[in-house]
Formats: sequence, structure tokens, C-alpha cells
Amino acid sequence: VTTLLPHRTAAAEPDAPSGPGAGRLGTTPGSPDARRAAGRAVAVRILRRLVAAVLTVWAAVTAAFAALWLAPGSTVDALIGEGPDTPVIRAQIIAEWGLDRPIVVQYVDYLARLLTGDLGRSYVKQQPVTLVLSDQIRPTLELALAATVLAVVFAVGLGVLGAGRPRLRALLSSVQLALVSIPTFWLGILLLVAFSFHTGWFPVAGANGFRALVLPALTLALPIGSVLGQVLSEGLERALERPFALTARTRGISRWRLLGRHALRHALLPTVTITGWVVGGLLGGTVIVEQVFGRPGLGQVALQAVTTTDMPVVLAVVLASTAIYVLVSSIVDLLYVVIDPRLRDVA
Amino acid sequence: VRYSSNRIKAAAALLTTLLVLAGCGSGSATTGTGATGAESAAGAVSGGNLTWGIETLPLTLNPQVNGQNKAKLLVRNQFDSLVSRGEGGSFEPWLATSWTVSTDGRVYTLQLRDDVTFHDGTRFDAAAVKANFDKLLEPAYSPSVAAINLGQLASTVVKGPHTVVFTLKRPVASFLDFLSSPNSGIISPASLKSAANLTAGGVDVVGTGPFILTKVVAGQEIDYKKNPDYKWPPAGAKHRGPAYLDTVTYRILPEAAVRTGALTSKQVDVIEGVPSSDIDIFAKDSSYTFANSLNSGAPYGLYFNLSKSPTSDVRVRRAFVDAVDLDAVLKSVYFGHATRAWTPVSSTSPFYAKAVENTYGNKPDEANKLLDEAGWTARDTDGYRTKNGQRLTLRLTAASPYIRDRRDVLLQAVSANVKQTAGIDFKVTIADVGTATKASSTNAYEVFDNSRGDSDAGDALALIWGRGAPINYSKANDPKLTTWLGAGSTALTQTARVKPYQSLQTWAIDQAVELPLYVPADQIATTADVHGAGFQPVSGVPDGAYDIWKAK
Repeated sequence: VTTLLPHRTAAAEPDAPSGPGAGRLGTTPGSPDARRAAGRAVAVRILRRLVAAVLTVWAAVTAAFAALWLAPGSTVDALIGEGPDTPVIRAQIIAEWGLDRPIVVQYVDYLARLLTGDLGRSYVKQQPVTLVLSDQIRPTLELALAATVLAVVFAVGLGVLGAGRPRLRALLSSVQLALVSIPTFWLGILLLVAFSFHTGWFPVAGANGFRALVLPALTLALPIGSVLGQVLSEGLERALERPFALTARTRGISRWRLLGRHALRHALLPTVTITGWVVGGLLGGTVIVEQVFGRPGLGQVALQAVTTTDMPVVLAVVLASTAIYVLVSSIVDLLYVVIDPRLRDVA
Repeated sequence: VRYSSNRIKAAAALLTTLLVLAGCGSGSATTGTGATGAESAAGAVSGGNLTWGIETLPLTLNPQVNGQNKAKLLVRNQFDSLVSRGEGGSFEPWLATSWTVSTDGRVYTLQLRDDVTFHDGTRFDAAAVKANFDKLLEPAYSPSVAAINLGQLASTVVKGPHTVVFTLKRPVASFLDFLSSPNSGIISPASLKSAANLTAGGVDVVGTGPFILTKVVAGQEIDYKKNPDYKWPPAGAKHRGPAYLDTVTYRILPEAAVRTGALTSKQVDVIEGVPSSDIDIFAKDSSYTFANSLNSGAPYGLYFNLSKSPTSDVRVRRAFVDAVDLDAVLKSVYFGHATRAWTPVSSTSPFYAKAVENTYGNKPDEANKLLDEAGWTARDTDGYRTKNGQRLTLRLTAASPYIRDRRDVLLQAVSANVKQTAGIDFKVTIADVGTATKASSTNAYEVFDNSRGDSDAGDALALIWGRGAPINYSKANDPKLTTWLGAGSTALTQTARVKPYQSLQTWAIDQAVELPLYVPADQIATTADVHGAGFQPVSGVPDGAYDIWKAK
């Protein structure tokens, strides 16, 4: 992949000057060559990411397929559920969904249809899976995005507040540890009791507008923001101990400027790594939050599909979650380059 | 239907207020229709929007496919049936004005209303009924209805524009019950033919009901608006004409604590599914109304596996039953809000064998004597009884998605109880659906738990006790069962069904094949300004919103 890249870059910019200064080594920051090198670095990253993304999605779908197949109980049993179970009904279900074919045939058939964009039909709802999911992705994305933003704000806010102030930092750290330890379910109920049942500030349920998003997003964001906060706080402390911090202080810059312009940049790298990781985990957390707050979303669909062994829907949810995860970690990967100039040269 | 005394007090208080206001000559108390004397119609006002917090995300909104009791309150808004049930269980007119049954019990001739239209504007007539029943006979459409409820339907014939004739292969005593159930709710033939989401239900699957489905947001809410043309309610409805409410929004709130909080903070007007721990919040406060209704069918109970040791030994089964102090267990698990079940049939059913009540259970000495007789005399280090080195273990595997009403806690309490009083190891496992079905299909269980919400208890008994029947997990195959079930399901009158079904109940308890635990119930709690919320007769599940009105 990497060897192809100079080619592509050249093809994309046929008129680009290729003087003696061109190339990765010896460029000076800010020169056109340096920008091209940076652009190439980003392009390499994107392409690598794309290949990795396809592989990741394929692996996830395959793993989910295998897990569902290995899980105890047959799909026929699950489709019958609590309903009457007669040989006639069994035979109909098997025939209708082609469940008598070898599992490998079912798998290959599924992958082939996936390539054409066909996610199949829900066993339970007898609707195209795309229809089952189409209304559910947006609320989940809204929730995940809002929670991520809140978590980062929470983490950076508390981190900056406690940086270089050991006592305050210890206090904030205990608050964060408490928030991480509370089960999401209970935190959601607590927030509801405080800010919905008693004060009526926020509605209890639904996905109607901004106000309905606040409490679910907070429920997700507080524990995640606390984890991020711990990491960020560590990073800030380490940065503040570095000689450059002392030098900067002796030059007379303010605490806020030191934190904002220098220390934060150092502390952000590990934080961003963790952020990418937890946002993937957010999708799991939405199952509980959606249940508590009666919100639509992928979590509810996944829960219902898993309990009814609605295989096509489960696989589609896995597919969608993996895609979102890959997207987020790709963005994180690119953010490294923005935060840390050194990385621009080592694609 | 049981109303709490507080509900009656609240109604009395409201009535007093109205009288006082009227006495003062203030006209403001008599808005809307004039007082007619009927409790729920007095002062009823039209208009307004209702928000109702419900527990279950329905798998489908198609009444004919739906198998969830918890979705019946939704589909009743949108769909009407041919026949309705009265409070006492009688069959009354709905979309059919009258019917006759041939003397051999095989031919049902129904006269239909001629003034009914579907929400899509098409006319309801005999051809529409035929289209529905022909569709229901398609084996893949609604498998359980085709195989069980309509297994004996030979033909549906249009005799005139508003006359339809059903012919059965043999008499089916529960046929009218099926005609009154949501499973036979009439769908517009146009929808049956062309709806894109026929199985899942939705706005394109339309009926003749008092409300029109306007929006479904899966996992969030289901919205209805009033059908202004509606004038064909069931005979037992509390009013005629269109529904009172302009719109109804059902909010899906799966968490009980959230439903309770949503009602106490007035974010919803009504909730269903009040856990026993929260009942007193609403039942003891006059700013709410609370009502509880027992379900019909087969109550929740434990069925013993007769096909294998040790539960094939009647002494072991009787010992288990005698070892349980069920009243105490129920009281501790449900805070005194559960109704004990005594027989395989719900106490609301006309077939209930009341004579069985208080005749068994809570005899620890008897239990220990029986187990000694059966040879389970030794004890292991954990205090459980053993025989030939084998522990007296009875296994039950329950599927976690189907657990409701804290049944997991109840089972653990029973387990602790039988260990303490008789040294029985009742091993309860809560697992995923696959593991639970595997346990039952490989006969790896001694105890099975189950309940059925059928409005006709006879239907439930046939599924549970029939030889080789779909949910006969006790594997009971006594020839007497076949006789009783046959007599009960083909009898020509409802009265003639009582005796065989009561014999079955007496036998099941005498042989200790089942330990009935409690009668499942539904609850409705509302704010005090909501009136007319109630339950469907006979089945006991919450009703739709047709009779509900909100005071202004």
C-alpha cells in the first residue's frame, strides 16, 4: 500500500514542482514541500485505515455470525419463542428462512448479499433490516456525540481546574472515581429523580429535541469523562513537571497560558487515544441508557434482536457499530497528526 | 376488576366537590355532556391529549399476528372484532349485530353492521370478513392462529353483503372467544393485500377502531388520533360515538422506576405495569387512581416433569407442594400485593374449581414424612436429602427475557423455603433463551415454570395438558386428561364445559403435577383527572383509550 502512494500523489498533482528540495528529508516547516509531505502522510494513513476498516468490519461480522451459530438453542426455537411449537410451524420457519442449509452456505450467502448492500430481512418483523435500523441510527449517533463532547468538556474542565493544585486534584479525583464506580443504570435513575421527577427541568423520555438529550448524554458522559479526566490529569501533571514548564513560568507566562498552550497539548495525546477507545464502548452503554430513558436507538434494537435471536438484525447492528467504531478511531488517528506535528513526518 | 378503596374514595370526593359546586349555582362544574348517572359518563368531556407510559416495546402492531398480552391495549385502539365480551364473560355484539349457531355447533352465521368504514375509507362488509379469515388460514402469516385457534375452520362464506357464515370441522367451544379476541381484529382488505409492513404493523395496516395510528417511533412512542367517524363501539362500552380524546401517545418506558417517576412528576397521565413495591405510592394517595386486574388463562405455576425420576414419584411432588409456605413467600416477595393461585386455572375464569382452595400446602411435617417414605432419608453435608448417594435435586431453567413480576426472586424464595423445611435442592437457573429451550428440549429439567394469558382458560389447558401438546412440559399423558379436554373444547354450551375442566383441576392438584403460584395481574395508575381507564373484560389486560377522558 505504502509503495503505491507516491505514484498516486504525483498523479493527483501533475503540475507540482519537483525540485531538489522535494522529498521527505530536509524540508522546512511551512514550505510547499513540507505541506505535500504532510498531505502524503495523511493520505497514507487514510488508505491504510480504509483497508483496515474493511477487514475489521468483515472480522466483526464473521465473529458475530459464528457466535450466534454457536450460541445454545436453534434459531427455530428462538423464532417460535413462547408461541406454540408444532412440527408444521417448525417446518414452515425452516423453509421460509432457509435454515436447513449448511451454515457455511448461509454464511457465504450472507456475505455475498452484504456486498450488494442487502442486509436481509428481520425474522421477527419480516421487514428489510435497513428499514428496521434506518430510524434508529440517528438517535444513537446524537446520543454518542453529545456524550463524547460532554465527556471531553468534563475531563478537560476538571483536569485544568485541578492541575498543579494537589488538594483540589485529590478531591476531583475521588469524585471521578465515584462516578466511574456507579452503575450506568443507577446513575440514570439518580439523574432522573433529581432533574426530571423533582424539578421537571428535563423530560423523562424520548428523543424529542435538545432537552430530552441532556440527561441521557450526561448519564453516559459522566463515567467516561471521569476516566478521561484521570488520564488527562496524569498527563497534565507530568507535563507541568517538565523543565519547559518551569522555563515558561520563569518567562512570566500565566498559569492558564501555560496549561492551555503547552501542557494540554502534551496531555491530550494519551487522552485522545482513550477517547477513541471509550467512544466505541459508548455504543454498548447506549443499550442501558436507551432502556432507562425510553429512547429509540441501536441499543434497543440490538437488545430486542438478541433476545429474539433475530440474526439478520443482530448482524446489521454489529455491522453498524463496527463501522461507527472504525470511523471514530480513524478520526482519532488523524487527530494525532493535528496535535503532534512530529507524526506528520513518520507516515 | 378490583378497584382499590382509595379509587372509590377519590371518586366519592370528586362527586362531592361537583355537588357542592352545583349547589353554589356555579355552572362551571357541568361542562360537556349532561350527567347521565353512569359513573364514567358523568361529566365526561371531549378533547385533550393523553400520554400513557407502557412497559413493553411491541414486536408488532398487527393484531392478528401479535402474541404479546402487553400489546393488546395498543391494538384495541386501532382494530375492532366481530364479537365483544361483557363483564360477566357473556358474548355481546360488536361489528356483528347478531349470530346464530347450528345445533351441531359447527355453523356460525353472523349478521354484520352495515354502517362501518375502515380508516382508509373502504366499507366493512362480509367480503372484508372473508378476506381476513382467508388470510388468517395462510399457514405462514400468523402460524399459531392458523394452527391452533382456526385449526378447525373449514370455510368462510359470504352469504349476503352483511352476512357471513363460518363452518367448522368439529364444534369448537372457544370459537366465539376467538371472534372476540384481538387476534381476530378486522384489518382492511386493502391493507392485507398491499401493506408493506403487514407483519410488523404500522400506519399502513388500518382497521375500523376508535383511533387511527399516526406515528410509530420504535423504542420511543406510538401515537394515535381520534377517528371522528367512529360509532360502533362494543356493546359493553361506557359511551357511544367517537372517542373523547383527540390524541393518545404511548411512551415506551421499560423501567418500572422510570414509569413511576414519570407519573408522579405528571410527565405522563397514565402508566400500566406498576411493580408491587410502588403500588402504595398510587393506591394510598388521592391525587392518583389505581386499579389492579387479574389476568385470565393459566396462572403462573411450577409443573413437575412426570417423565423422569425423582418427579415421576407422586410422593416427591406432594412433598414439594407441602414443603412450601406459599402465602408467606408471596407476601415477602410481593409486599402483600399478589393473589395466590390454587388451581391450574385463573380464579377469574368461569371454569375455576373454587372447591380446591385451601385444601393443600404448608405442611412441612407431611412433606418430610413423604420423602422418608420415598427413600430420601439420608442428608448430605449441605443439609439436602439424598438417596443412594444422589442428592434430591430438582432443576428449573428459566429464560431471562421472559421473566417478569420478579419471578426470579419468587423462585429463589421457593427454593430457600423447600430447602429449609424439607431438604429439597430446588436449583433455579436464569439463562438466555437458547439455554432454556435446550434444557427443555433435552428433558434436562424436573420443574418447568409457565403462565398463559389466554382469555379462554380452556385454550390454555389444551396447550398445557393435552397429550403431546405444544407446552405440555410436565409430559402428562393420563387418558382422563384427553377425555376432559375433549369434552371441554367441544361442548355446545359454556356451562357444559365447567365440569370436565374442574375435574382436570382437581386431578392436577391431587396428583401434585402442578404447584400453582400466583395469578398474574395488570395494573393501571392514573392522575386524578383521568377517568375511564380500565381493563378488557375476561382477559383482564388493560383496555384501549376509547372510554378515557380527561377533566379540564
